[in-house]
Amino acid sequence: MARPMGSVRLKKANPFTLLLGTVLCIFILYFLISPSSTPSSTTRVVVDSARHHLSPPTSPYRKPKSDAAVELGPPPVTRYNLNNVTITADPIGNQEHVLILTPMARFYQEYWDNLLKLSYPHGLITLGFILPKSKEGNAATALLQQQIQKTQKQGPEKDRFKSIIILRQDFEPSLQSQDESERHKMANQKARREDMSKARNSLLFTTLGPATSWVLWLDSDIVETPPSLIQDLAGYSKPVIVANCFQKYYDAETKSMAERPYDFNSWQDSDVAQKLGASMGPDDILLEGYAEMATYRLLMAYMATNPSEKDTVVPLDGVGGTALLVRADVHRDGAMFPPFAFYHLIETEGFAKMAKRLGWQPYGLPNYKVYHYNE
Amino acid sequence: MMPRHQASGFSNGYPREKTFDLSPHSFQPRTSIAAQRQRKRLFIRLGIVFFVVILITLWVWPKSAFASVLSLGLLGASSELELETVRYYDLTNVQGTARGWEREERILLCVPLRDAEPHLSMFFSHLRNFTYPHHLIDLAFLVSDSKDRTLEVLSDNLEQIQADADPKQPYGEVSIIEKDFGQEVNQDVESRHGFAAQASRRKLMAKARNWLLSAALRPYHSWVYWRDVDVETAPFTILEDLMRHNKDVIVPSTTNNFVDVWRPLPDWLGGEQPYDLNSWQESETALALADTLDEDAVIVEGYAEYATWRPHLAYLRDPYGDPDMEMEIDGVGGVSILAKAKVFRTGVHFPAFSFQKHAETEGFGKMAKRMKYSVVGLPHYVIWHLYEPSVDDIKHMEEMEQERIAREKEEEEKKAKAAKLKEQFGDGADTWEQDKQELKELKEKAAEEEKRRVKEEKAKVAQLKQNTNKEKPAAQDEKATTNQAKPKAKQEKSRAKQEESEVDDEKPAAGKGKSKAKQEQSEVDEEKPRANREKPKASRQKPKPKQEKLAQAEVEDDNVVAGNSEKKRFAE
Repeated sequence: MARPMGSVRLKKANPFTLLLGTVLCIFILYFLISPSSTPSSTTRVVVDSARHHLSPPTSPYRKPKSDAAVELGPPPVTRYNLNNVTITADPIGNQEHVLILTPMARFYQEYWDNLLKLSYPHGLITLGFILPKSKEGNAATALLQQQIQKTQKQGPEKDRFKSIIILRQDFEPSLQSQDESERHKMANQKARREDMSKARNSLLFTTLGPATSWVLWLDSDIVETPPSLIQDLAGYSKPVIVANCFQKYYDAETKSMAERPYDFNSWQDSDVAQKLGASMGPDDILLEGYAEMATYRLLMAYMATNPSEKDTVVPLDGVGGTALLVRADVHRDGAMFPPFAFYHLIETEGFAKMAKRLGWQPYGLPNYKVYHYNE
Repeated sequence: MMPRHQASGFSNGYPREKTFDLSPHSFQPRTSIAAQRQRKRLFIRLGIVFFVVILITLWVWPKSAFASVLSLGLLGASSELELETVRYYDLTNVQGTARGWEREERILLCVPLRDAEPHLSMFFSHLRNFTYPHHLIDLAFLVSDSKDRTLEVLSDNLEQIQADADPKQPYGEVSIIEKDFGQEVNQDVESRHGFAAQASRRKLMAKARNWLLSAALRPYHSWVYWRDVDVETAPFTILEDLMRHNKDVIVPSTTNNFVDVWRPLPDWLGGEQPYDLNSWQESETALALADTLDEDAVIVEGYAEYATWRPHLAYLRDPYGDPDMEMEIDGVGGVSILAKAKVFRTGVHFPAFSFQKHAETEGFGKMAKRMKYSVVGLPHYVIWHLYEPSVDDIKHMEEMEQERIAREKEEEEKKAKAAKLKEQFGDGADTWEQDKQELKELKEKAAEEEKRRVKEEKAKVAQLKQNTNKEKPAAQDEKATTNQAKPKAKQEKSRAKQEESEVDDEKPAAGKGKSKAKQEQSEVDEEKPRANREKPKASRQKPKPKQEKLAQAEVEDDNVVAGNSEKKRFAE
């Protein structure tokens, strides 16, 4: 019963085989067609992507043909009209671009998850990170890049951010350990906060770009915020506004989760502190939250009253940087985080003072809470 | 060894019909059985189907990410639309070194502009001449509150340079930033440098600079170069020259060069005048003064109101000095600043508030010092700033122009007169010739009589000539007296070329008078008239080094002050 090959085989083809083939075919086709048929991707790409890699990093750019052989022409002359950059209480309605800046020493997954939960259109958000070039920083960078990859390449379209900038610090951190106890020692404060200031400034001035309307400073250990954080803070239309930072912890006495104030850098000034400052040397700084240095300032951390009175706004003289929304104007005018004693203040507190010197009054929201990671 | 199933067939199940049939057992491995073969066929078929499907998808959606993964990025077209949203920069790579051009370090060139249309063509000629590789320079312009065509001219010029056929011409990223601050201060020299307007003007300028920088600075910049648009002459290699010093902040000395449009002008004050008085070293006096001022006060250099007695970079200039000589300074002028980008990154900016009693570029110098960066000036490395005539100068120029016209008119008249005379003289000669001919004819007839007549004629001509000679000096004297009557000393200088030496001698005296206008008023009053013409020595006696000390309060447009003091004198 020897048969010639070829046609005989076809005849003998298993119907099951063909069925399997077609099913697979249909499945693959469906799989391929479905994601690209969503309309959002095409619109977003068109909005504002630059043609050249020298474009401001706050906007993405389209890679031209990948082979280097193709000659790139000289970059075009780009005109930015900063008179048209609006900064309003309705940032979503006016399509205002927000820059979220985070100096990062450790990566917390909760931070990233919380970031993804923000309800502000992600297509209008640019993220900026700066990490030290230490062992810890390298580990954090790796974790961060992993998450970014996941979100920007594989994640759903609505989760993807407009652009992400990762910077590596160009100076050695003066403190090697980022442990909470070590960080908060009073003797280490000045050096640590000088470094923080430099990191914040480096991040700010290289990423601000010509399109940003608002800058949100969000610390890398803030793990829980209301999803509408940006809109809420911008809604008060204050030049500088800070949320109250608390920490959730397990209270052994009541056997339940409780919260306690965490950030003491937001305050209203006192005469005692003024006098203390006047008696100090030009390079000394006033610190908050240390028993050795009683300043009797009015701390926003203790102003929290009824959670229902969310709209309470208080003017401040010093601000913390945990969750701080700043009009881009304020930074453009030159308000930065002084890495030196500026009126005996440093970093975010010095920033508040500098903003005031430039005519911008900082405010705080005592009942609007964000939560810090608990180690 | 005998096959076990030889009688019934092959071990693979095929019946043995013909012993010498080669097919199929000779190709089949012994283990292969029908079921296996069938499965294999199925796999091949599936594979083909799969492949065809992929080919179709690649053909239909060549740009999908999935396709690019499948094609391993081999298809160029597939990555064309790839959106880059993540950028990674290591700031340790952009620290700035002495030989930046070898390490391909990028420079951000910042130029704040306002009603600068007339200066743009000059600026672009400089731009084309920079020897630093152009593709490593990013340009950023801030156009604010301009009422002329600055923006159009600027973008036209930039488009042109970016489209230049010479591949060495186009620059890197070019951004024009428009932002109006609503400056109400006038931009002409008088109002720009008037004392009262200084503080608020400087604060606004500082804001403009900060806006420009914050919008244009990128993580890949190693250096930032600030340049005023109205720099007239600067070495083409200025970027490399300044970079070579490898300082955090460095400025050359800036001098004012009078334009040679008005020919008598180069003699004013010797033809050059220090322009940028904002580069200086701190002095005890100034520090003490700063302590007495209130929080928002801004010390501006070059005004008698704040006598700071600071050594200025501009006055230390020696044309034969070593251009590489460095000098530590505290305040910085904004005409041409090269700074490492890290200075700006870490927060140093142009304070738009009173920072240690200073604002803008001077405050910038102070802040850089505060953050322990090196701030250095090169007193003998000079760039020339365009001469901007002050309102008084313009008036003076107009007067001089009128004078010149009057003089020309006079000269023309004189010429006409001379021509007339010549005509007359020519006529006389003709008659003389005729007479001579007649003489020849009537040689003997009336020789003596004729000779007498000729003598008479000559005498007449001589007299006429003398008259014209007398007229000339008289006219000049008249002018001189009118000039003297005018209160401005500088007019004297411009007057005539024969007085050049005198003018030069006058200069220091005049400068001094201005600088210490109040203390030396009487001295100046005595000295001036003498110095003007009769006794140039009087001013020469003043020792030169003293000028440095005196320089502190001197102003770029100090002519005004001097003019005022003189006016007072005349009022008295």
